[in-house]
Amino acid sequence: MTDVGIGALTTAAAIAAPRGHSTLRRLLRHRAFMIGFSIILSLALLAVLAPLIAPVDPSAMRVRLRFRPPQAAFWFGTDQFGRDIFTRVLYGARISLFVGFSVCVISGLCSAILGVIAAQFRRLDSAIMRLMDALMSFPAILLALGIAAALGPRVSSVIIALTVAYIPAGVRIVRAAALTVREMDFVQAAQVSGASSLRIVLRHILPNCLSPLLVHLTFIFAYAMLAEAALSFLGVGIQPPIASWGNIIAEGRDYATQAWWVMLFPGIAISLAALSLNLLGDALGDMLDPRLKGND
Amino acid sequence: MSALLSIRNLTVQFRVDSGWVTAIDDVSLDVNAGDCVGVVGESGSGKSVTALSILQLHDRVTTRMPSGSILYQGHDLLRIKGSAMRRIRGSEIAMIFQDPMSSLNPVLTIADQISETLRQHQGLTGAAARKRVVELLGLVRIPDAARRADDYPHRLSGGMRQRVMIAMAIACKPRLLIADEPTTALDVTIQAQILELLRDLRRELSMSVMLISHDLGVIAEFAQRVVVMYAGRVVEDAPVAQLFRRPVHPYTMGLIAAVPRLDSDALRLTTISGRIPGPQEIIPGCRFSPRCALVQEGCLDEPPSMHPVSDGQSARCPPRILALSERHG
Repeated sequence: MTDVGIGALTTAAAIAAPRGHSTLRRLLRHRAFMIGFSIILSLALLAVLAPLIAPVDPSAMRVRLRFRPPQAAFWFGTDQFGRDIFTRVLYGARISLFVGFSVCVISGLCSAILGVIAAQFRRLDSAIMRLMDALMSFPAILLALGIAAALGPRVSSVIIALTVAYIPAGVRIVRAAALTVREMDFVQAAQVSGASSLRIVLRHILPNCLSPLLVHLTFIFAYAMLAEAALSFLGVGIQPPIASWGNIIAEGRDYATQAWWVMLFPGIAISLAALSLNLLGDALGDMLDPRLKGND
Repeated sequence: MSALLSIRNLTVQFRVDSGWVTAIDDVSLDVNAGDCVGVVGESGSGKSVTALSILQLHDRVTTRMPSGSILYQGHDLLRIKGSAMRRIRGSEIAMIFQDPMSSLNPVLTIADQISETLRQHQGLTGAAARKRVVELLGLVRIPDAARRADDYPHRLSGGMRQRVMIAMAIACKPRLLIADEPTTALDVTIQAQILELLRDLRRELSMSVMLISHDLGVIAEFAQRVVVMYAGRVVEDAPVAQLFRRPVHPYTMGLIAAVPRLDSDALRLTTISGRIPGPQEIIPGCRFSPRCALVQEGCLDEPPSMHPVSDGQSARCPPRILALSERHG
């Protein structure tokens, strides 16, 4: 499932800069990009290869072995049912990364499209933005809770719910940037040279609005994984015994004082994933905004 | 000779909260093939509005043109369709702007931006486009063109960026180049280089140029005809030598008198007192009358129209024309 996410990410990079080769070379030389990319790639590989790596079945309960601290036999310790946390974190990566990436990519695409439409076609502006305001007036998690509850407890409904919940902020970001960019002289210069409106939007306005959106999306990735946990905890998300980083944390919360390792390791996994995505987002932002680029 | 571009009685109005204001009123001017026409006037006199009207770049919702026509090679640009207008922009009529720092897209390389015009109008892509880009950069005298082509705009100085803008503008060999204050944002030595470049390119490509400026020095050096605008109207239209030798309209006289002279010991610069009226201000009769040193009773009665003075010169000031003809006649 995770390779869907990776695929989407590389597509985003391709959209960001159409001239493939030199952009790819620049990305490979970008240190932050390489660090972020290595981390996320490792996490994704671990997730894909989980059945091969994991020592035991993620749902296998061994009550006698409950709450074992990290040790040679259980690297990350065990939870209240004696399930191996290391195994569950590996399997959890599949759900969490998939949900994170999907929400990130789908809400990113929708925000970019809606934001630019709102900025460019003034007639649609108030319609789109009032809808976004309406969505925004609910707390994101409450909105997602409602949608997920309506759609039923499935991974797809979690993704749809979180996507809808996170779109308004993205639309606002893109619209604000696009409103600034469309008044710039180079947009008029492009008009003067005979470019069509569609081309002006795609080549001149959109690329200049993407940096703030990309930064925002790297946060969305982390939020989405945490929100997925909250939804699971509230009973409308991914149902136990299926592991996701979020619901391992949620389940471990009750035992935080006696078994800190239950929450710690999936927490580290979420932090690592969010960190790597932040690095990637920064790197892509640099690629999109040549002024910020280092000396290369 | 028939004009390449002929603006006739053009009026442009913009929508504001309280209705429509007239930004330019009854503007007529001709640009002949191969000619350079200078358009001078203060800020707010309607120079840029005129230029943007030619390319139909005003927002359609907030702009209207209740009268007039803009004939380009016999076709009225006000009446042709959007797609046809797009084919004219960049390939027939090109434009360069005042501020080269913001006229280039920061996320595209120089080569990308220039080849966009080539792709649009000549279908050039890939290696062919690249070859032409390097050629164009050489033509606007950018040193080391092949390497510069892959630079992003932020690596270039203002003068270099203006050269890139010019390269973009001439990429498809337009017949008419509109230069809207092309040197205003540059320092004086660069100004001279850019003007020289424009002059050479005009000859090499046999383009007509419409040079918009508030700098009479630039106009005197560059243009063959001068159109003086004031508060949205053309007040004088004359061959350049004639304009400087015998300005007719009091506003033109004031402008010429206001140019600082090296051979004068005057301690104060000459100015025209007052300021240009906004488009919403209602002034009866001649719009220059509140600032005019030669104002007479009749000036406030009705807006004057353009009258021929002599060969190729006309002005919007009947009392002055009358006075001049009496003096000579």
